[in-house]
Amino acid sequence: MILTGSEIARKREAGRITIEPYSASHLNPNSYDFRLGTQLGVPVFKNGFLEFDIVDLPVDGYALRPRTMYLGHTLEKLGSDTYAMRLVGRSSLGRLGLFLQVSADLGHTGACHQWTLEIVAALPFKIYPKMRIGQISFWENLGTPDAYEQRYSAFNAPTPSSLGTRARDT
Amino acid sequence: MILTGTEILREHKRHKIKIDPFDPARATTNSYDLTLGHDFIRYREALIDPRKDNAYDKFAVGAEGLQLVQGDFVLGHSAETIGSDHYVPLIHAKSGIARLGLFVHVTADIIDIGSHGHVTFQLHSTLPIRLYPGMAIAQVTFWKPKGKIVLYDGRYQGSRGPRASEVHRDFVRSASSESDVSMTGRDPSDSPRAKRRSR
Repeated sequence: MILTGSEIARKREAGRITIEPYSASHLNPNSYDFRLGTQLGVPVFKNGFLEFDIVDLPVDGYALRPRTMYLGHTLEKLGSDTYAMRLVGRSSLGRLGLFLQVSADLGHTGACHQWTLEIVAALPFKIYPKMRIGQISFWENLGTPDAYEQRYSAFNAPTPSSLGTRARDT
Repeated sequence: MILTGTEILREHKRHKIKIDPFDPARATTNSYDLTLGHDFIRYREALIDPRKDNAYDKFAVGAEGLQLVQGDFVLGHSAETIGSDHYVPLIHAKSGIARLGLFVHVTADIIDIGSHGHVTFQLHSTLPIRLYPGMAIAQVTFWKPKGKIVLYDGRYQGSRGPRASEVHRDFVRSASSESDVSMTGRDPSDSPRAKRRSR
């Protein structure tokens, strides 16, 4: 079952959900709006290897090239030891062609950090640090969750893939 | 928990799920098929800036359909009005559409509980594709919520046809604050019948 907005607020108060910093005005009927963090990973190919240059997002905005993937991150620390999570976009930004992940919407129970976002714009698009960019929903588990202790769980800045990434060419 | 097709039919009959027009044959094992409407929106900006009211063209398409080029982005809409005050709808592409490389939403699949209207499709083509009004393009699933329900009363309530983004209204309130561009509360003009401007 998916938690309603009021249930998200209740479970956060009970310590079962982490959203930090938190604002009650970001609650939706069945999700919570998170904000974009202040750093962006810009893809570059160096000697045939994919790397991400980490830049600080200017307050007056950063223009994304279309159909390229950048790594962003949530401003908030988000997580839960009790619920599974889904990070999705907001319809207001989907209507402008901004993807927030590349078919990886699942947040595992036990993960708690600033989440890395895979940002792809269908059209040239200007993003701003701290803008309300996406939403997270919380889902009840069936069964006992194991504690999630995988490779990315401690990272807060935009974190590139830990798979050995070698581009065939640029 | 996700509703089965038979449960969608039952809850539609009990008015806990609204789908109009409704055709029981469109219910699948776990979802209900949505068809593409006639109206579309295409943005006219060289750079989309969520802080401003981005200009767009709205146009209708007949039986000849709409040709999308590779990498295109347009807004369409469901021919059906859908919504529920009891379940959370999620939007998905039909797999046959996805296999042609067409996104029907841009990572925004959740519909708020209490939101009723035409669904705006966020159509992004990774291959050239021609779309025809009336084709089954997407499917909606219904999920059981847990907790007290507060119904949606936002800016896109009661949508007819595709609705362009109104995200620029997020930024109005905090225009005086350079360090924080997020909205700190709901825009007071977020009413179901808020003014619309089509340019």
